[in-house]
Amino acid sequence: MVVGDIATGTEVLVIGAGPGGYVAAIRAAQLGLDTTLVEKDAYGGVCLNRGCIPSKALITGADTAHGAASAERMGIHADPAVDMAALSSWKDDVVDQLTGGVEKLCKANGVNLIEGTAEFDGEGSVRVMHGGDGQGSETIEYEHAIVATGSRPIQIPGFEYDEEHVLSSTGALNLTSVPEDLLVVGAGYIGMELSTTYAKLGTNVEVIEMLDSALPVYEDDVARVVRKRAEELGVGFNFGEGASEWEETVDGGVRLTTETDDGEQSTYEADHILVAVGRQPVTDTLGLDAIGLEPTEAGFLESDEFGETDVENVYAVGDVAGEPMLAHKASAEGEVVAEHIAGEPSAMDFQSIPGAVFTDPEIGTVGMTETEAEEAGFEPVVGQMPMNASGRALTMDEPDGFARIVADAETEFVLGAQIVAPEASELIGEVGLAIEMGATLEDLGSTVHTHPTLSEAVMEAAMNAQGHAVHTLNR
Amino acid sequence: MVREFELPDVGEGLAEAEIVSWLVSVGDAVTEDQPVAEVETDKAVVEVPSPVNGTVKEILAEEGEMVPVGNVIITFATEEDETASEESGDTESDESEAESAISAVSEVGDEDEDAEAGGTAAKGGRVFASPSARRLARELDVDIAAVEGSGPGGRVSDADVRAHAASDDEEEAVESAVEPATAKVGEDDEEEPAPTGDVARAGRDQTLAAPATRRLAEEESVNLDDVPTDETRDGEAFVRPEQVREFAETQRAAQAADTEAVQAGQEAGAVSTTPEQVDQRETREPYTGIRRTIGEQMETSKYTAPHVTHHDEVDVTKLVETRARLKEEAEARGQKLSYMPFVLKAVVAGLREYPVLNSQLDEEADEIVTKHYYNIGVAAATDAGLMVPVVDAVDQKGLLQLSEEMNELVAAARDRSIAREDMQGGTFSITNFGAIGGEYATPIINYPETAILGLGAIKEKPRVVDGEVVPRHVLTLSLSIDHRVIDGAEAAAFTNTVKEHLQNPELLLL
Repeated sequence: MVVGDIATGTEVLVIGAGPGGYVAAIRAAQLGLDTTLVEKDAYGGVCLNRGCIPSKALITGADTAHGAASAERMGIHADPAVDMAALSSWKDDVVDQLTGGVEKLCKANGVNLIEGTAEFDGEGSVRVMHGGDGQGSETIEYEHAIVATGSRPIQIPGFEYDEEHVLSSTGALNLTSVPEDLLVVGAGYIGMELSTTYAKLGTNVEVIEMLDSALPVYEDDVARVVRKRAEELGVGFNFGEGASEWEETVDGGVRLTTETDDGEQSTYEADHILVAVGRQPVTDTLGLDAIGLEPTEAGFLESDEFGETDVENVYAVGDVAGEPMLAHKASAEGEVVAEHIAGEPSAMDFQSIPGAVFTDPEIGTVGMTETEAEEAGFEPVVGQMPMNASGRALTMDEPDGFARIVADAETEFVLGAQIVAPEASELIGEVGLAIEMGATLEDLGSTVHTHPTLSEAVMEAAMNAQGHAVHTLNR
Repeated sequence: MVREFELPDVGEGLAEAEIVSWLVSVGDAVTEDQPVAEVETDKAVVEVPSPVNGTVKEILAEEGEMVPVGNVIITFATEEDETASEESGDTESDESEAESAISAVSEVGDEDEDAEAGGTAAKGGRVFASPSARRLARELDVDIAAVEGSGPGGRVSDADVRAHAASDDEEEAVESAVEPATAKVGEDDEEEPAPTGDVARAGRDQTLAAPATRRLAEEESVNLDDVPTDETRDGEAFVRPEQVREFAETQRAAQAADTEAVQAGQEAGAVSTTPEQVDQRETREPYTGIRRTIGEQMETSKYTAPHVTHHDEVDVTKLVETRARLKEEAEARGQKLSYMPFVLKAVVAGLREYPVLNSQLDEEADEIVTKHYYNIGVAAATDAGLMVPVVDAVDQKGLLQLSEEMNELVAAARDRSIAREDMQGGTFSITNFGAIGGEYATPIINYPETAILGLGAIKEKPRVVDGEVVPRHVLTLSLSIDHRVIDGAEAAAFTNTVKEHLQNPELLLL
């Protein structure tokens, strides 16, 4: 213990107040455990402050502007002016409201909040360094520690984030004016969401991707719908190129040099370069050596079905615990760990973790693809419903995409869904429930869905898998 | 291709059956319809035929094991094309390869066996059950992959989990019950040092061993988990037959020493009760198979039908004489004539007059069904327990034919080769407890029949005839009736008719 330290004890110590940490803390406190939550920066973590929430706010703004500007077919003629600073400030208000809510919830549930950076001191204790000089530090002795430190954007060497020329996703969410030209390195979900957003706000966007397709983790037919739409919005795609170096131009912009595998170089000029090549877990600041916990090569902490790591009473939830790095996965894990510590029979037995990409149209996926089902030993049957056969999609003037259901042919258990459609992020929830409950195609297809809604596509896809869809041809 | 074969429903509505013996072993070539196993249903042993031409790949159930209908008990390698086997492909296709490695040598404890054979919803590493059912399983410490799902496609519900937990408890109770007393001592070791403490016991939770080794262990009353071994298979301790023998030997030696010690102690006046002795005061065996079937049948009958038993006696002196005469006649024709055919005939005479005793209450339809045919069950004690073979159409057969049929059926019941059909379709039953001894009893009706006649022993007793006390042959009768359908007066009247016919056997000629 350092002189001047105050030593306190807690039953449950949670490090990181993102969607994994704050949920774990609240649940632990609800279950009567003395709980302390340490956060170095902002309650709500990346998701609320620099990720899901601000990006969705910007997307809504971009959609509104773009929707108004492109509704001539409906007889609406408009040329909206976007005040980026005002849009950003509205976005910040939303973030503040939510993060304030998290803080209030924690307090209301009796969670002790401590600001600072936690570092393991040895088994059973952490030292928390308070932010800023002379703020001191304190030692907290814990019975159970939950590591929920999340992740940060991966940096490419030579492309350190200055958030002026080279932007991380964080910087891209905080621009005060709409850039004229934007280079986006990486066509993963973050790159695609922001490319679409800025394209809709009027920016000329060029995407640089080392691989040969956008959204490479998704099936081709799913990714193709989104890429085509992005191209319609003016996004340029440059596949098979890696960013090699950049320099500042005389007018304060950037010049990016890319290189193909064959050594062929290209240069691009723009106002900013957004680097969105993935995220990495934050485990290097924790002093894990002190408790003998070793992360994997990729920096993740391995844990069992109760979230417990190789070190007894030390748990990991959220991004640090491994892929998929998604807020809702973190929250679900946080609940399980808290309940497990409290002695409840919880375990991470989720059958599926849904995922969503807020592109245009959105992508919602859950469970297995047809190929994954085959690999898992099922004999899959697949049903599909194109959105251009959906009355609601047509009336929204968003007929691109489809809903697809994957099921086991023999038992008709629903195994997965891939939806690329307006509001796919919402539509996927229904299929998630079906998978968790062990529902069959019959269950999904026989549930009466509201007309006219997009959700009918899920029902039709299920019926299509059974060979008796009404609104699409059965294959 | 591998064709999995599930235990078929060999009787109607059967839930489980015991594998009595395997008629083939791994590697044997089999032809379609060739019997591969003998399976004991609730009352008979039947042969299970192979569904295919091929060779036996794996045998997944052990002799003596109770197997739920629908579980894969054997797999065959066939040359059929893919589609055939994919169709039959079931729940464990994923695991079956890994499993084969283990199951060829052993059974990994009952619970694991369940996990592999019992669960229907596990597939592609998934169990189809709601999150709440999965949580409940954890709460009840149930491996949800082992639960048999009753929902569509085998989805596991809360109720399935609870049922499985309950059956697990039963199994555990049975397991601990059937563990030989000596093994129990081993378990008790931790708390109180047993006299056999000098036998080194491994005390594992799980032990792999070949089925033959398991049998040997059972014969030797050795708990496999106690047998010391250095060998492992798939990370689990593996025990060989010679190790079991050696352990059994040590155990016996230790016990002999104990017995001596105990005797010495008793001689010295210090009477102590060792844990062993406590255990030996009671033995437990599983309530399964035929015993359980009988029990359940009795339970249903006694709790469903309000029983009334009517007792009477009949002077069968003439019958004894008649039978003595006819017996020689029958022997000349190679038949052994007992009293039973006469009783059967007398009963039919009674039933013709009082058909309500040849009836059944259809509880669902709220109707009393009177049978106009006379299939009489004759209860027979067998080594496995009570069985009731049925002699059909008693009214249409002569004494000799009845005698022949009955003798054959009873013999078949005793050697357990009797077909299920031969124990079904009865309309009335007779139980001859007097063959063993006793005068009166209160027989339990062979539900859903409504009446059963119990026969006491025929004995010579002093009876008053025409004012004189004379020795007479007397048969005692105990008739139990279902009072829902039959009243006491009818029971008495029926008994009177039966009595008349037994008293005056010539009436049987009518």
